[in-house]
Formats: sequence, structure tokens, C-alpha cells
Amino acid sequence: MIRGSKHVLKYIAERTIVYIATIFSGVTLTYLIVKAMPVDAVENILFGMIGSVGAVYDPESVILLRKNLYEIFGIGGSPIESYLIFLRRVFTFDFGPSTIAYPTPASEIVFNRLPWTIGLLLASTLITWTVGNLLGVIAGYFKDRRFARVLEGIAITLYPIPYYIMALILIFLFAYLLRIFPLGGGLSIIPEKFDLQLVLNILWHSLLPAASLILPGALGWSFLSSRTLAMQTLTEDYTRYAEVRGLPGSYILRRYVLRNILLPQTTVLALSLGGIFGGALLTEIIFAYPGVGSIAYRAIFSGDIYTLMAVLFLSMIGVATGTYLLDLLYPLIDPRVRYR
Amino acid sequence: MEPSLITENLKAGYKLSTMEFQKEVEIYVDAVSGVSLTLGRNEIFGIAGESGCGKSTLIKVIYGYYEPSLILRDGSVRLYGRKGEEFDIVKLDRIRLQRDVWWKHISYIPQSSMNILNPTMRIRDHFAEILKIHRGMEKDEAYREAGKYLESMGLPIDALSAFPHQLSGGMRQRVVIALALLLEPSLVLADEPSSALDVINQKVVLTLLREKQEELKNTVVIVSHDMGVHGVLSDRMAIMYAGKIVEICDTTEIFWKPLHPYTKALIESLPRLGDKSKRIGLGGAPPDLRNPPPGCRFHPRCPYVMPVCSKADPPLREVKNNRYAACWLYSETVEAI
Amino acid sequence: MAVAARFMGRIGRLFVMLYRRNLKFRLGFTIILILLILGFLSFFSPTNTRTWYVVPRDRPPSLEYPFGTSSMGRDLFWELCASIRNSLTIAFVTAMIASHVGLFLGFMAGIRGGIIDRILMFLTDTFIIIPGLPLLMVVTTVLKRYLTIPFLGMLISIVSWPWPSRQVRSMVLSLRERTFIHTARLSGMSTSKVILRELMPYVLGWHLVNFTNTILFSIGTESGLAILGLSILDDNTLGVMIYWALNWGYALFRGIWWWLATPVVTLVLTFVSFYLVSIGINEYVHRLVR
Repeated sequence: MIRGSKHVLKYIAERTIVYIATIFSGVTLTYLIVKAMPVDAVENILFGMIGSVGAVYDPESVILLRKNLYEIFGIGGSPIESYLIFLRRVFTFDFGPSTIAYPTPASEIVFNRLPWTIGLLLASTLITWTVGNLLGVIAGYFKDRRFARVLEGIAITLYPIPYYIMALILIFLFAYLLRIFPLGGGLSIIPEKFDLQLVLNILWHSLLPAASLILPGALGWSFLSSRTLAMQTLTEDYTRYAEVRGLPGSYILRRYVLRNILLPQTTVLALSLGGIFGGALLTEIIFAYPGVGSIAYRAIFSGDIYTLMAVLFLSMIGVATGTYLLDLLYPLIDPRVRYR
Repeated sequence: MEPSLITENLKAGYKLSTMEFQKEVEIYVDAVSGVSLTLGRNEIFGIAGESGCGKSTLIKVIYGYYEPSLILRDGSVRLYGRKGEEFDIVKLDRIRLQRDVWWKHISYIPQSSMNILNPTMRIRDHFAEILKIHRGMEKDEAYREAGKYLESMGLPIDALSAFPHQLSGGMRQRVVIALALLLEPSLVLADEPSSALDVINQKVVLTLLREKQEELKNTVVIVSHDMGVHGVLSDRMAIMYAGKIVEICDTTEIFWKPLHPYTKALIESLPRLGDKSKRIGLGGAPPDLRNPPPGCRFHPRCPYVMPVCSKADPPLREVKNNRYAACWLYSETVEAI
Repeated sequence: MAVAARFMGRIGRLFVMLYRRNLKFRLGFTIILILLILGFLSFFSPTNTRTWYVVPRDRPPSLEYPFGTSSMGRDLFWELCASIRNSLTIAFVTAMIASHVGLFLGFMAGIRGGIIDRILMFLTDTFIIIPGLPLLMVVTTVLKRYLTIPFLGMLISIVSWPWPSRQVRSMVLSLRERTFIHTARLSGMSTSKVILRELMPYVLGWHLVNFTNTILFSIGTESGLAILGLSILDDNTLGVMIYWALNWGYALFRGIWWWLATPVVTLVLTFVSFYLVSIGINEYVHRLVR
């Protein structure tokens, strides 16, 4: 009567197909947008790169740069040809050489910085989601008490504030006024060996950037949606019946309310991934945190379009993959998905 | 008769705020107006009446489960456990009720089991949590007890590892009944236990209730608007109208010889085998409980209405052996003045 | 024309009612009004806010210069007014385009269902996957010299339309199943009449909410781009002010905090006020749907 595995396999297969299809269409859409750029604008980039101070390119390099540029922007050749070339480049992560560190390939530069960004993102998102859920449930249960109202007020203020503005405020308060935290950077000691001191130093530098990402979430979108869901769940028949059965309040909050908002909250998380990613990039820039964001900043500064494209596609794949992984978690969380 | 539940002059209702002429006003809806009942051990007691008569509110008050707008105005509820423990439900606070009384000495079977079980918890966990929290059992022991218990109830073992959405409606209701009887409370309140089910499952559920009561010899209160259910299950019955109990007696007597005019109308409206005459319903509608009529609340619709009926509310008096009726037809009019 | 006038009238009445009843709306709307006034004042600015060294540099806030002056020699008060005006203009352009595109597509998807719904939803979901900021980074880098205030607004709308589309669609879907639609259909009303008469009031409410949220999103995105140096750096927007303060003036390092604080505080106020307005309308719509 209860054999769920076949159903789950079907679900995984379905989600995987959607994942691949989404990435594909995302890449295609980007191709169309990029192809819509006027050709002389693209040419200008080339001139900008060549003419930028301190850059010395021999004629062969210029030809190479132009070739890469044209292929990435789908200029030249028949539409199908340029599309296929574009696809090949994207899926082999070949975006040409970067100009901020010529001739190192653009994708290599981005990949080098990726661990910092992923570390920051993972940690912040996890903390945001967990703390937001817990606080939301508590605030939803005690909704008439003063502290819950205060939390709601704080959340309404913090929620619309973009992560980088939060970063600016935090820098101003804690690195400038109060001088507790460092103004930026990833570490302040030379990494000779991988020991506890190094780890702590990294963590210390990550604190403010992480806080910029966590605060508008744990006391923002995550908290607010958790609270709304919790208030809804508290009026459900099964929660009321749990009270009737003499089960204590704390147990009900945990097993009946929290447990049942996990699924919709995962959906909220999946939808927010794109925004969090973008916010993380900007926050990194403000804190001079050595992640993908800082690379993107330097690329913008020197007009390095190759690196920017690498960042774009890497983030697209990253966000899509993150959403996909979250999708795969659904059967684990909700038995209604696991079993027919 | 050794009592299992005594309620005295219960008065409860709902405080609501509504808009009247652009202003917000607070009104009181009188749902339970002076209900006194004594229930004995080892009996199935039925409460019948149409929707809105207050039977669900009465159940909630007996249980002690108050929602934000439900308030108790007067009266007392005394519950007696299996070993004679006495609980003054009205005076106990929620924490004590949760910890000591609910589910152990009194339990509740709700009307619809559609959404009544936790969708993210397996059936066996529903049973196990009760055993863990109320009896202090360890998880493995609780699972074993749950398994044995379900078997004894005639429910398939497969159901244990299922999630609520995987079970049919009838199966869910049986699980809910099993949950309610798990700790063998001395009083079980069942609110329309079969109304949401198809006829086949109705029979299964009602049979289950009857059998379990005979086995445990506890008190079961069946609330239902369906007289057929009472005919099958209830030993004794109370008829409720507009927040008041208008008649109490043995079920068979109610069917054969109802005393109160309202009961008479109820019985008369039931279809009978072989009797093809047209069923006559009762004219009018139940009163608005925000503003109940003076005197007897049934008097506007009563075919036997007398002048005194609109002036004074008839008390519930013993008319014959253990038969109670609240009607001026059976009380000395002298007492009314 | 008449339809538009009646439309504006209805919205006006809605705002008045919300202002009276809803505290959050009142607060947010008041702040927005102040911002709008400041923006309007910018047309009367006595100093030029786009050239450099117009007034003495690095003066802290005083009576003469209410918000101080920057290292670029600009009166921060008037620069702020101009920035508010431009930022709000960009946001307005984005909201007009994106929320209406989203309204149209979401409505189509919800009402028609079937294959059209699936196609539109696939399109929408794909766009949601594309991370907005990196895409805009590429686009604005290439189109840097073509950027004007309205054009920037249009560009941002490319990444803003999916959210309203989804919202409208789910609202239409949940309303579609309501009895009153079936009743209207069965009573013989044509489909378009059904749509206009019955669904519009609810959808309009949501549309307003989406409009406000898009404004929020757009201001946020433009400021983000500006900090990267990808906005219109020789004009004034709130984000551009921050850019110059951070990158050219090193405002924090040199202790000229008022240069950074002015745009940041204003931005925060802008965000919070629009969000409050959004919640206010949201609460009202929810009560309607009940």
C-alpha cells in the first residue's frame, strides 16, 4: 500500500528535466538579449579595453580579443552558427581571456573566487532561513505580545532595505563609528598554514558581510513569511486538535507549526535565491570581500566584458542549481509529495 | 447512579463585534442558557437538536476548550474520573487541563476528520506522541503499544506507517476514534461522529463506538442532529433548542412518546417505514440568539402555546420517572407566577 | 479618456480611504509626499547640481547648507532633491512598463490556461532564474554611453516583469474558481465582460501592490548599479551620490560622513515608505478577497 520510491524517482526525473530546460532557455534568452546590443557599442568595448591605461596588447591579441568578443555577442556568421558557437562557449565555460589578468581565462578567475562567495552565501542563507523560521513561529504564536509587535515593526523596516544598503549602514556603524570590525577584506594575516587562527580571522572578516545578508532576511523576508505562515497554521484544524489532545504548547509549535511551514518556506527560499545572490555580489564589493563580487567590480572598472559574461552565466547556473537542489528536498520535507 | 459528569446551570455565549449603522458594537450571542445535566457511568448519552441550537458550544464548555470569543457566564462543570477523581473544569486553568485532564479523563471526537491530523506525521506517531507525553513512555515502547492497540481496534497494521492523506475518510475517522479512546477516559464527547461519512462508513463508525463503549463501560456523549444515529446508539437523550435543554429521557421513550412539543415535531418529521403520509415540518425558524424571545424560547412556533409561555421560561422539571421536560404543559402554572 | 479619468478617480478615492483607516499606509504615504515635494523642489534649485565645485567643499551641515556640501563642491540639499527626482523617475518608468507587462501576461496566462499558460509560465520562470544584477551589469557596461534616465528605467524593467506576472496569474487562478465567476458566465455574460466587471476590482488592487513593489525593486536595482559605477554618473540619482561619496571622495575615510549619510538615509526612508504603502494596499485587498 505504501511504496513511495517509484513516485519519488518520477519526481526527481521531472525536476531534472525542468532544471536542464530552464538553464537552456535562460542561456538562450540571454543570447537574444546580448545579440540585441548594437554592434558599435560592442566595438567600443574593445577600444575601451585596448586604450585603457597600462594595457599593452600586441596585434595578435587584439584579433583574439575581437574574435572572442564577437562570438560571445553573437556577432557575425549565420544566426544558427553564432547561436551554436555561443552555446558551445557557455557550456564549456570558455568566455575568452580576461583583461584584468590577461591572458588568464575569464572563467578561471571567477572560479578562483567562487569558494569565498559560496561560503558566504551558504552560511548566511542557512542562518537566515533557520533564524527567520524560528523567530517567525514564535512571533506568530505570541502575536499580541509587545515583543512580537516590536519584531514585526523591525522586520517591516529591514525587509525593503537592499543588502548593500544594509552593508553601508553596518560599515558606518560598526567599522567607522565604533571601530569594532575591520573595514573590509577577507583576511588580515598572511595565510601560511591552515590553522585555527586563519579560520577565525576569516570568520571575523566575514561577520559584517554575513550580517548584511542575514539581517534583512532573518528579520526581513524570512521572518515575515514565517510569521504569516505560522499564524495561518495555528488556525488549522490539526493544530487546534493537537491542543485539544492536551499536548503542550512548545511541542505543538515545534511538531505542528514549524514542521508544517517548512515546505512553503522552502519555496520562498527558492524564489529569493536570485535576489540574495545579486545582493551578495554588491555586499562583497562594499566590504572588498575577495569573492566573485569584487572580481566583477574590477571587471566593470576596466571594461572586461569577458569576465562579466563569465560572472553572468556562472550566477545563472548557480541560482538554477540552487533552486534545483531545493526542489529535490521537497519529498524529504513533505510526505504528500513523497507518497501519492 | 454514580455520576461521571455534572453540569449545573451552564451559561455561555459568544462576544462578537459587528458593524451596526457604521459603528462597531459588541453583542452577546446566548448559545448555552442554563444547562444542567447529570451523566452516569456506562451509558451513551445523546444530545439532539438542529444546527445553531448550541450543542457544539455546550460540548466545548464541558470540555473546557474556550476560543477567544467564547465566554462562560455562569455555572459549573464537574468531571469524575475512573477512580473517582473530581475535576472542576470551570475553575482549572488551561495548563492544568492540558496536563492532567484532557485526553486522560475526557476526550473529544470532532465532526470532520478531513484536516484533523498532522499532514507531516505518520499515524503511529500520532498515537506515540500521546503515549509519550501523557504516559511518559519511550518511543519504541510507544510504537509497540500503538501497534497492539490498533490491532485490537480492528485497524490494519499498514495504517501505522501511513500519512493521513493516504487514508480514506472512513479510515481516518476510525483512527480519530481510536486516538480518543487510547487513554481510556471516563467521558468521551463525540460531535457528529458520522455526519461527514457515507452510509457504509457510518455504520462501521457507529458500530465501533457502540462496541467500544460496551467494552470500556465509560460515558459517551453523542451530539447529532440525526435522530437515526441516536436511535442506534444513545441509551438516554437530551433535546436541545435555542440554547436550552427541553427534554431528557430514555431514547425509546422519546421516540414512542415525546413530551415536549418540539420533540414531538422532531419525531413527527422523521420518515417511517410503511407510512406514506406527507411529513409535516415545523413552521418558522429558530430564534435569533442575540435577542431571544421572552418566556419559553419555543413559544413562537409552538402549536400548544398558552398565554403563560410568552411571559415566563419553563424550568426543566421531572415529569415522570427520570423523564424531564421544560414545558408549561407539564408544570404547575402556579409556579410561573 | 473617460475610462482613464474614472480610473484615476477610483484610485484617488482608494488612497483617501486608506489614508484615513490604515496607519501604515498613512505613514508611508506621508513620507512619499515629502519625497515628492523635495523632488519637485529640484526644479527650482539655485545651484547647479551637475557641475563641480559650485559651492565650498566639505562643509558640514549648517544653516546655510542644511545637509552640508560634498568634496565635489555641491550643495547636498539640492543635489538630494535632484537625485530624488531622477531616482523616482527611473523607478516610475520601470514600474509602468514592468507591472503592466506583468499584468497583461499574468492575466492571459491565468484566464486562458492550457498551453498558453504553460508557455508563459515557462518564460516567466526562466526570466526569474536569470540573476537580474549580473545581467544588468553586462547590459549597462555595453550600453554605457546610451544611458539616459528613461532608458535606464526601461532596461531595469527587463528583469522586473516576471514577479508581477506570477502574482497576477496566481490571483486570477484563485479567483477564477470562485462561484461568482461561474454564475456570471452561466447567466450569459460574454467572457470579456466577465473579466472586466467581476475580476478587475480584485486584480486592480493587486496591480497597485505590484506597481509599488516594482518601484521599490527598481530604486534598489538602480542604486546597486550606480554603486558599481554603471548608472548615469554625471547626473544625480541617489545611487550615484553614494558612488561618488564612496569612490571619489572616500567619504568615510575622510570623515565627511554627511555626504554618505544623506543619500543612504534618504534611500532607507524611500524604501520603508513605499513598502508601508504596499502593505497598506495589500491589507485592504486581502480584506476585499475574503
